[in-house]
Amino acid sequence: MKRLILPVLLLGLAGTAHAQQPAATVIAVPPLTSPDSGTKGNQMLAVGWDVTQAIEADLRQTTEVMPLKPNRDDYYSYPEVTAPMFTKWRSKGAKALVTGFVQGRADGRLTVGCYVYDVDKGRELARKGFIIGASDWRRAAHKCSGLAYTAITGAQGIFDTRIAYVAENGIGDARTRRIAVMDSDGSNHRYLTSGDAMVLTPRLSPKASQLAYVSFAGGRPNVHLVDLGSGQERPLLSADAISFAPRYSPDGGRIVFSMMLGANSDIYAVPAGGGAAQRLTTSPGVDTDPSFSPEGTKIVFESDRGGSQQLYVMNADGTGQRRISFGGGWYAAPVWSPDGEWIAFTRRDQGGRRIGIIKPDGSGEKLLTAGSGDEGPSWAASSREILFQRGGAQGRNGLYRVALDGSEPRQLTTPQDGSDPDWSGVMD
Amino acid sequence: MRKTAFLLALLLGASAADAQLPFLRKRSGQPQQPVLQGIDALRADFAAQAGGTTVYYGAESVILGPPAKAALSLQAAWLRKHPEVVVRIEGYGDGLDTRDHALAIGARRAEEARSYLLLLGVPSTQVSTTSWGKERPGLGRAITVLVR
Repeated sequence: MKRLILPVLLLGLAGTAHAQQPAATVIAVPPLTSPDSGTKGNQMLAVGWDVTQAIEADLRQTTEVMPLKPNRDDYYSYPEVTAPMFTKWRSKGAKALVTGFVQGRADGRLTVGCYVYDVDKGRELARKGFIIGASDWRRAAHKCSGLAYTAITGAQGIFDTRIAYVAENGIGDARTRRIAVMDSDGSNHRYLTSGDAMVLTPRLSPKASQLAYVSFAGGRPNVHLVDLGSGQERPLLSADAISFAPRYSPDGGRIVFSMMLGANSDIYAVPAGGGAAQRLTTSPGVDTDPSFSPEGTKIVFESDRGGSQQLYVMNADGTGQRRISFGGGWYAAPVWSPDGEWIAFTRRDQGGRRIGIIKPDGSGEKLLTAGSGDEGPSWAASSREILFQRGGAQGRNGLYRVALDGSEPRQLTTPQDGSDPDWSGVMD
Repeated sequence: MRKTAFLLALLLGASAADAQLPFLRKRSGQPQQPVLQGIDALRADFAAQAGGTTVYYGAESVILGPPAKAALSLQAAWLRKHPEVVVRIEGYGDGLDTRDHALAIGARRAEEARSYLLLLGVPSTQVSTTSWGKERPGLGRAITVLVR
C-alpha cells in the first residue's frame, strides 16, 4: 500500500523553534454511488449517503486527514468509481479521494466497495469490498474510513473499534458504576452491568469480542470475563482470590492480571479460554498493571519493589525483569502501544497525576498532559492517540483523548461521567 | 510516613453499619428483620468494646503503628469471646494513588490487620479480607466489618 507524501514533510525542515502543527491531508468524500437502478437504486443511494456522511465524521476526528464536506451535487456514475475525474478534485484542493458504491444483494444484505486515490498522481492507493447486513452500514463506513486513513498516514485506522469504560453516576459513597461499551464514534452505546455491584477497569480483547473487568459482586474484587456477542459471563479464576488489573495479550489468547496471595500482589498469566494460572513475578510488594508488547514476547508492569512505584519490563515468561523508569516521581499503569514504539504511563509527583510516554528501553520520556488528576492511559489502534481518565471538580471523572504531538486533550462525550477507558484494536 | 493516625471513633462503628443501610432502606415499609437487629446489636457491642472498628495507616504505609495494634488487640479480645461471629476486614488505599496500586495497598492493609488478629489468637476461619482501593473516599484505613 503506497502512502501519500504529506505536505508537512515538505515544510518540516524550516527549523523554527516552535513545533509545526502538521498540515492535514485534504480528502474529498463525494457521495457513494450504486449500480442498482429504479426504486432499489434510490434506496441504495440513500444508504450510500449515510455511509458517506459517516466517513466524513470519522475522518474529521483525526488531526492528519481533513475531509471536504460531502456535497450531493458531486454525484458520479458507477463506472466513475474506478475512473474518477481527478482534475475536478485537484481544482478543489483535494490531495486524496474516496469513491465507492452500495449494491443490494438478493439475500437482503449489501455489497459495499471503497476506493482511495492519490489525486495529484491520479493513482489508486487502496480498495476494499465487503458484504454487510443492511443495518450495519455504519461499520461499512468505519471500514472505508480506516482504509483511507491507513492509505494516507500508514497507521491503523481507529474507526472500526470499540471503547469500554466505567459509567459513573453520583459522587462519593453513593456513586453507582456500570461497565459501558460503545463504538469509538459514540454509537451503539450499551451497559453490560446493572450498577448493583462496584466495577472497575474494563479491558477489551484486541478485536473487541470479549471484555475482562473487575467486579466486587462477591464482596472481593475478582476478574470476570464477558463475551460481548452472547453476553455470557464467567469468573476468570475458580478460586476466590483478590484479582485485578486484567489485560489481554495481542492475540487475545492469554490474560495477564494481578492476584493477591496474602499481603503480596504478583503478576500471573492464564489462557483466556480457561486453564491454570502461571505466576510471573515473585517479589514482595505490589507488582501490578501488566501489559504485553505487540508481539506478545514481553510484558511491561509496575512494581514498588524498589521502594516506589516504577516501570519494569520482563520477558513474557517472567524472566529478565529490569527497571526502565528513572525520571523521579512514581510511575504506574503502563500500556504498550500497538506499534511497539512507546509505553504510556501515569506519573505521580508534586504536579499530581499526569499521562506520559517512554520508549521500551527507558529513553525519550515525555509528559503529554498537565494533570493534575489524569490516569489510566489506553492506546488508540493508530498508536497516535491516548485515551485517559481526568478527574474534575467534586471527584467527577471524564474521558479525554490526547495526541502524541502534545496538543490539548479533547473530552469524549459520554452519557454520564466516565472513568477507566479502554480502546480496542480494529474489529474483524 | 510511618506516623499512624488513630481515632477512638464512636462514630466509626456507626459508619461501618451505615454502609449497609441503603440495602435495608430498599425494603421500604417492611419491619426490620430480627436477624438484622441481632447483627446490628453485635456490631454495636463490638464497636463499643473494641473502641471502634477502624485502624488508620499513614499515607503510602502498610505498617501497623502502636495505636492500630492497640485497637486490634481489643478487637481480637472481643472476637475470641465471640467465635460464632465472622468478620471481614476491608482495606482502603490512598486517594492520590493510581487505581490498581491503591487496590493492592488496600488489600495489603487489610491483610496486615488480619495477620495481627491471627497472631493474637483469632482463628483464621473467622477473618477474611477485601479491598476497596481508592474507590471510596477517606483516609488509608482498615475497617473490621461483622459479616455474620
